[in-house]
Amino acid sequence: MLLQLPGSLMAVFILILALAFFYPKQLPGFLRFLLVMFLGATVMSSYNFGIGRDAASAALLAMLALKPFETHSQRDAKSLLGFSLFAPFAAFLQDQGPLTLGLSMAAFVLCLMGFASLTETNNASWRISLKAAASSALIALPLAMVGFWLFPRLSNPLWGLPQNALSGGGLGDRMDPSQWLDRLSDDRIVIRAKFFGKTPRRNQMYWRGPVLIHFDGNAWIRDQGAKVRPRPELKNDVDSIHYEVMLEPTATNDLLVLDLPTTAPQNSRLTYEFNAIVREPVNSIQRYEAVSSLQPRFVAPLDDLTRILALRLPEELNPRTRELARQWYAENPDPIALANRFQDWIKKDFKYTLDAPILGRDSADDFLFNTKRGFCQHFSSSFAVFMRSAGIPTRVVTGFAGGRYNQLGGYWMLYGKDAHAWDEIWVAGRGWVRVDPTAAVAPENILDTLEEGAESETFTESIFRSTINTSDWLRRSWNELVLGYDSARQKNLLRPLGFDTEDAKQLTFIFMIGAGIALAITLMLLLRQRREDLHEVERAWRIFIKKMRRKRHEKLEHEPASEFARRIAELYQSKTPESAERIKQLCARYTQWRYENKEFDSGEIKQLVTDLRQFKPI
Amino acid sequence: MPEVKSRDVVERFGDRAARWAFIRPKKPEPLPIFLNRGRIYVLPTSFGLFLAGVITALLLGALNYNNNPAIFLAFIIAAAAHNSLVHAHLLLSGLCINTLHAEPVHAGQNMQLRMRFEAKGARDRQGLELVCGDSEEKFNLLAREQIEISVSITTVRRGWMQTGRMRISTIRPLGLARAWSWIRPDTHLLVYPALEAQAPALPEAQGEGSQARMHAQGEHLHQLREYRHGDAKKQIAWKASARGEHLLVREYETQTAKEIQLDWFSLSALPYEARISRLARWVVNAENSNCRYSLRLPQEFIASGSGMEQRHACLRALALMPHV
Repeated sequence: MLLQLPGSLMAVFILILALAFFYPKQLPGFLRFLLVMFLGATVMSSYNFGIGRDAASAALLAMLALKPFETHSQRDAKSLLGFSLFAPFAAFLQDQGPLTLGLSMAAFVLCLMGFASLTETNNASWRISLKAAASSALIALPLAMVGFWLFPRLSNPLWGLPQNALSGGGLGDRMDPSQWLDRLSDDRIVIRAKFFGKTPRRNQMYWRGPVLIHFDGNAWIRDQGAKVRPRPELKNDVDSIHYEVMLEPTATNDLLVLDLPTTAPQNSRLTYEFNAIVREPVNSIQRYEAVSSLQPRFVAPLDDLTRILALRLPEELNPRTRELARQWYAENPDPIALANRFQDWIKKDFKYTLDAPILGRDSADDFLFNTKRGFCQHFSSSFAVFMRSAGIPTRVVTGFAGGRYNQLGGYWMLYGKDAHAWDEIWVAGRGWVRVDPTAAVAPENILDTLEEGAESETFTESIFRSTINTSDWLRRSWNELVLGYDSARQKNLLRPLGFDTEDAKQLTFIFMIGAGIALAITLMLLLRQRREDLHEVERAWRIFIKKMRRKRHEKLEHEPASEFARRIAELYQSKTPESAERIKQLCARYTQWRYENKEFDSGEIKQLVTDLRQFKPI
Repeated sequence: MPEVKSRDVVERFGDRAARWAFIRPKKPEPLPIFLNRGRIYVLPTSFGLFLAGVITALLLGALNYNNNPAIFLAFIIAAAAHNSLVHAHLLLSGLCINTLHAEPVHAGQNMQLRMRFEAKGARDRQGLELVCGDSEEKFNLLAREQIEISVSITTVRRGWMQTGRMRISTIRPLGLARAWSWIRPDTHLLVYPALEAQAPALPEAQGEGSQARMHAQGEHLHQLREYRHGDAKKQIAWKASARGEHLLVREYETQTAKEIQLDWFSLSALPYEARISRLARWVVNAENSNCRYSLRLPQEFIASGSGMEQRHACLRALALMPHV
């Protein structure tokens, strides 16, 4: 968790902890007060005085770092240890990787060590505490596993995460030029996708995010109304793709799906604009399956409201673009032909770069006739302005495009920098058709086609890439095995066993059974006794004594074997003389072996052992 | 005496609950006492309760966010805490108190109880704690080992005393749970009467009075004489023998004891208990000054004698005088 802090804060914490360690005396009150104020100020300033989860976590750590200064009694130490358990928890809010889990398990064992050493009377060595802690931790595993797998999970959270919780690769409801630059250099993975059966071609891999339809001359904005309208019907399509997505937390309500989804992922719904929307923001890893169509055809004609929205432009802006659009439209009114002509034009003269000049008020005019350099945002925006000016309904779609294939895991990885924006134009009879003007200019940048030329790759590059592939594959397996486990997977796990997990009673019942089994294992581990190093004759003798005890013939502790034999034999004498004789003889042989220095060879010993073991008292 | 810790909430609750009908044992019981699961009680310590709160908070938060590592963390802490309940129980179960005895002391003094514990079964038992009244004693027991523990308890009045309720407990392994068992051995321990603080001198001796007699052991060297068969080796005066031809043996003279009669009826002026403590003081003083003494009590007469046994017999008789 310390590692997730800003560097300066980390240094301060380490300094304070070191101070606490080497200065065991209690600091004077005013100094402590100063320290608290200083640390509080540092924490606040490193988070720009915002109050959120990160700042709260840092504040928690600050408190924990300061606490040793006033920890002098056992009670203080105990409360410090108890509260310090929140630290790994806070760490998990930020990162749930295997490293964090490993570190937190180490912290957990350390904490148990603290508990154990507090129960010591004399300052015993840390080894004993460590042993106690480690064995406690190990023995706790079965029960913890049962809790993890079987404890009833919440399918809906009781309360939501704070909004600032995870600012991942989510695409917003707006697109304006300044905002997108950061995103295009973000190296974090957003999507891992695996295709079942048919895999789309690279130039078909568009992951659909928010659709933006309002344009204010500068930014493109989402139509909130579209979220509640039912989605238009699609003609049945044979060319459908079935796939599974593992989406990293995005803190938005959008699930990314392959363009164009026909079946909504679980627990989500498809909007009018074919966005998959979930009720709660995606704050943890989401796994979902969906079906998409590569060649969708819309059945119904465009409704009037959408037509109006998709044609609206700020009146006075971009006169040159409008002029050009009207001119070209007059020459050929076919939307597809128009789009192709536009793409041919920019393919010749335009350049793809992230280092784009800032555009003026007439952004489309400025870009198309002046700067001619930019990235997806500029291309899609200008294209949309152009098409709308020509009277063709157009909207901007944001999402992710391209991706790298991980051969180890057989899935596609898309990073934050793969964020993309393209357009859709309405073509009568076909519906919305995807046009990507940026891809026309720089297909290799958008669709990662550069990587396909494997022969151009140097050796180090290929090593580097395979390392990335391996580490991401490990990370994905972790995500799938550990992080993706939720109430839905719990249901899937239990369904084959014939349990209906919708029923709370049954779920509790399963948990009880599991806990019972785990407890039995735990008890077995706890009861594991040090085995005595006994001779086999001695062991057989004890079994013999136990058998006699079951018949209520207790051998008294002070009683020698011969005495015992005589006493028992008398009891048996009247009923079964042969049994009495047998007991006497067994005891005599045992006494011989045990106390008389008579040499027994291995055959005799074996015979005695089997006789003792096989004896059945009546 | 070891420092007495302040009890936590759960401990005080346990103390109070000991009166409830179902808490065993109800009556004093004969030794050896074997601790089995029917009489071992386990509850979380107050720290355990605090931790339970922490775990609940963690678990709620983790479940809410379906944060799997956090859920696992919460469950493993919970499991460790839960197991420590069982573990604490197992540390006590199978423990056996074999013997309990104590040297008699005078009322008001601290009595050192010596108890012998045995660990049956093959588990090591660490961090056991014996609480008896205000004093407590901590000890460890290895598997199949016996150990003698001494705790001191305060005595109040003369006569037979029982130890009362003692508690054997442990908070191992993690300090989150306390397992305890009450023990009430029915062993009777003798408490001598309290000694009078400023007693008058011993009554006058009667009979022959003082008379010096030769004795092999004594305080004052009287003479050296020749070795005779049967003399103890340590009596031989090696230095002196080395100078002569024969082995020489030291001979001492001792004061033969005076004969003192301690009589209950001669103290009729004093109240009942005061008589007992004066007589007890006199017994002790007479023994210390090497006198022979006899003791006459209303129901009993202890004939003249001296030595530890005479002292014990007299003090025991005084201790067991009926209380009025």
